[in-house]
Amino acid sequence: MSLKRIRLLIWKEFIQLRRDPLLIRLLLIMPVLQLILFGYVVAVDVRNLSTAVVDLDRTATSRSLESAFSGSGYFTITQQLASENDLRPLLDSGVVKVALVIPEGTQDRLARGEAAPIGIIVDGSDSQISAIGSGYASQIVAQFNTDRRDALGIQLAAPGIDARVRVMFNPTLDPINTMIPGLIAAIMMISLLAIMSQAVVKERESGTLEQMFVTPIKATEYLIGKLTPYAALATAQMLLVAAGGLFWFKVPFNGDFWVVFTGLFLFMFTCLGLGLLISLVSRTRHQAQQAVMFIMIPTMVLSGFIFPIQSMPAIIQPLTNLIPLTWALQVLRGAFVKGSGFEALAVPMLALVGFAVIIFGAAIVATRRRISE
Amino acid sequence: MRQALIRIGAIVRKEFRHLGRDPRMLLAVVIMPVIQLLLFAYAISFDVDHVQTVVIDLDNSPASQRYLRQYEASPFFDVVARGRSLADVDSAFDHNTAQVAIVIPSGFSRTLAADESAQVAVMVDGSELNAAKVSQAYSVALNQLYSQELTRDWADAQGLDLSSLGLLEPRIRTWYNPERRSSDFLIPGLMAVIIAIVTVQQTAVTLVRERDLGTQEQIEVSPMRRIELMIGKLLPWTLIAFLDVALITVLGRTLFGVPLRGAAPAFALGAMLFVFASLGMGLLISALAPTLDSANMIALLVAFLPSFLLSGFAFALDQIPVWLQWISYGFPARYMVTIARGVFLKGAGFTELWPEMAALALYALVMLLISAVLYGRRSSR
Amino acid sequence: MTTTTTAAPAIRADGLQRSFGDTLAIADLDLEVDEGAVFGLVGPDGAGKSTLIRMLATVLRPDAGEARVFGHSVRTQAGQVTPRIGYMSQRFSMYPDLSVAENLDFFATIRGVSKADRRSRAASLLEGMGLAEFTTRQAQHLSGGMKQKLMLATTLMHEPDLLLLDEPTTGVDPVSRREFWRILAGLHRAGKTVLVATPYMDEAERCTHIAFLDSGRIKQSGTPDEIKARVPGRLVEVSATRPRAALAAVQAVPGVASAHLLGDVVRVLWSGSAEPEQALGAALAAAGVDGAATREVAPDMESVFAYLADPATGVAS
Repeated sequence: MSLKRIRLLIWKEFIQLRRDPLLIRLLLIMPVLQLILFGYVVAVDVRNLSTAVVDLDRTATSRSLESAFSGSGYFTITQQLASENDLRPLLDSGVVKVALVIPEGTQDRLARGEAAPIGIIVDGSDSQISAIGSGYASQIVAQFNTDRRDALGIQLAAPGIDARVRVMFNPTLDPINTMIPGLIAAIMMISLLAIMSQAVVKERESGTLEQMFVTPIKATEYLIGKLTPYAALATAQMLLVAAGGLFWFKVPFNGDFWVVFTGLFLFMFTCLGLGLLISLVSRTRHQAQQAVMFIMIPTMVLSGFIFPIQSMPAIIQPLTNLIPLTWALQVLRGAFVKGSGFEALAVPMLALVGFAVIIFGAAIVATRRRISE
Repeated sequence: MRQALIRIGAIVRKEFRHLGRDPRMLLAVVIMPVIQLLLFAYAISFDVDHVQTVVIDLDNSPASQRYLRQYEASPFFDVVARGRSLADVDSAFDHNTAQVAIVIPSGFSRTLAADESAQVAVMVDGSELNAAKVSQAYSVALNQLYSQELTRDWADAQGLDLSSLGLLEPRIRTWYNPERRSSDFLIPGLMAVIIAIVTVQQTAVTLVRERDLGTQEQIEVSPMRRIELMIGKLLPWTLIAFLDVALITVLGRTLFGVPLRGAAPAFALGAMLFVFASLGMGLLISALAPTLDSANMIALLVAFLPSFLLSGFAFALDQIPVWLQWISYGFPARYMVTIARGVFLKGAGFTELWPEMAALALYALVMLLISAVLYGRRSSR
Repeated sequence: MTTTTTAAPAIRADGLQRSFGDTLAIADLDLEVDEGAVFGLVGPDGAGKSTLIRMLATVLRPDAGEARVFGHSVRTQAGQVTPRIGYMSQRFSMYPDLSVAENLDFFATIRGVSKADRRSRAASLLEGMGLAEFTTRQAQHLSGGMKQKLMLATTLMHEPDLLLLDEPTTGVDPVSRREFWRILAGLHRAGKTVLVATPYMDEAERCTHIAFLDSGRIKQSGTPDEIKARVPGRLVEVSATRPRAALAAVQAVPGVASAHLLGDVVRVLWSGSAEPEQALGAALAAAGVDGAATREVAPDMESVFAYLADPATGVAS
């Protein structure tokens, strides 16, 4: 194997990349764009939900419940309505997402020691809002109950449960903290699949691939020369995303750098292999792009990157283990958020090794066979 | 005029022939939407259920077991393991075998017997966000109810005044999607995503490809006008986009039971306007993109990502920063999602949705006009 | 076929100019092509042949100057020019995944040829070109020669009066090339005008008029005989066992206007008054080149252009 030839191939690849200014700009824009989109859109916290209040009780109790809601930061009271019937058009048009209905006689019921039902209406046409919004609402009511009891000064010498809920590993429950680690892995995948497969197919289209085979260049040298620049590019993009996440979004990093490095390194081979395989089955660049989309969409959806695997139907959950990104996400999120080490992440790491060996191995074998034909 | 129609007809026939000869393309525009539909409708959910819970009972008393039965009985918590020490919690979280841990300290039942509040630790894995948030709320609610029960039993036995025991009980009603099925939420919006991908990307590519092939020149020396070429190239994709809409609507309703509560004509009009707006966008891209590669990339950036992320399809738009919201107004997908969801789930019609329709119509008009102007100039000059 | 005497030329170009960035492709070019001519545009690669043809086809706009095709301006009256011309580009401009018949039909339809005419003309054109049995084959699966014939057939479907052909036989096997020119001859007999760019000298021979294009300018133009007449002298071929030595030997002989190697034959332009065989034979013998034979041949375009293109001897434009 000639290092000189490999260096030459790498140099050629970089020159070609450089000559395509649009591609370069896109390569740089892509991670930034994804940071913005994922950071600000997907990883967004549910807050300031526009809320309507129907206060049929009009007592001190109902008013203080109202202020409990508005003071929470999760709900912004934008409408005060006289009757429940007024709610429909507002919810229909999406002007309000949540409604708080305090029935008449609530304060009285409380005074009698009874349970007083409170109506909370959520707009179910947005799943996230309805799930999380109703969760917050329940919490606020629960807190209200506790506060009320404390305010009444009754230190009940009574049995009760004092549950301390503690959130481990992401105490602020800020979605961005799990999104950014995920994005680092995702962007490597997107970059390698999309860009590399295009480059290889482009060469095949232009016929220079054939030219190369009548030179002394060996298949292995060609592969190394071809793959290295894109691996380097993907690394650059990952660093950009990591920097953006750590310094702009202030995502905490609790873990071990080497864990992340190893996980990404293994994942990279899988992505390289996939990119190669795609370029093998595509005759034109357009076909390559279709193939990339075909793989990317289920991957993004099913890997747990955006949508929680826990929430998927039981039949589908085992299938998600077939997706390499799923394991990469576990490693990255584990390292970033939980500070997990090699021991804890042994299973995902082994899975990554397996994928790397199988996919990269298959790709190399197939490419060499194609080249020697 | 008749000649113009004949020419347009020739282009349309040719485009369909191209499509027929390219099986992968057919796959992409017909099969892919169906797969995406199945994926999104079936697999995706934000609903949290059966949260894996590990329970550490350091007290091992009848009281603690009675308490734990709350969790076992709850459909929300799924007790998968019983640990023996806090180390088990760490291990469970590290290995992702549980997202919630309940730790009952020793002395639990003794404390209760002494008429005091017993502490229970609920630990939630914050790296599983959805589960964490909802678990927090549920466990607090669960504990409060249990606590309330204990207190009331005790107070009853003591014959005490119960007024301080009044509790507000939240009754949660979910409108438009009572079973909170995510598929109802996602499928109408999915249409916007799929159409955006099919139309924008394909139209962008199809016109650039003509240029690349060299057949463009032959067309230039014929009487065919640019506008005829554009119309001829867009018609097949319009038809395919409508086909996709129909397909998804039918599948959504029959397979997934997505309700159609509003006026179907309103939806049809909205879909039509959206298709034209997307086509306009694709045209514009093809007019501006110098190469096929860049056309592809730009279409991806402009069609796919915004439809997916900025249209409100899966991620709420009123929660994102204002400047991003302004940007989202620039993409037609946003309006289409509102229309689709409005008609399907909220029973909306023209009266509620006319602003979105108007926006789409304006969008389509502007895009087509700009493209026509750009195309008016001959490309090789 | 009668030569038209009063009609305007099929093509008249005055002062055409066109640049691409910093490169001047066509500079102050004048051209006149009579109706019914088979006009050959000859020149080296990069001479500007394609640029010129594309300007005449209204596909490219001139920076300066004017060209009139059948009296209509290519700049302002393109809509009246295009129905009367057929343009065949250098690169393959058919749809690769459509069949021969489908390509023909499509381009003829958009040209406004009626359905009945499409059918009959397609049939006769395909028959005449030997493509009849390939009607259903996709264009991308045709051989080079068939591809060119398909393109030609497509340009003929609407029966244009002027054909603008940009290197139609480049990369095509000799047999197909001959067939192609047979077809062009038929068109010529039918009174059509043909402007064809070609790098092949033997094809230039078959034209009624030729123009030699170099660096964006026309260096020579006229009928083949006229041009040949501009070269003083006679053409003599020397074949020897050691061609290079033979070349060196004859170059020194006075009376040799120019000599160059074509294959393994030395071509000598003899401008001397004496008979070339003797003088050359003597020089060859003196140089020790044995087995050399000299014979006079009729001057052909290749030698003529080699001579004219040679800055040392060529007649200035």
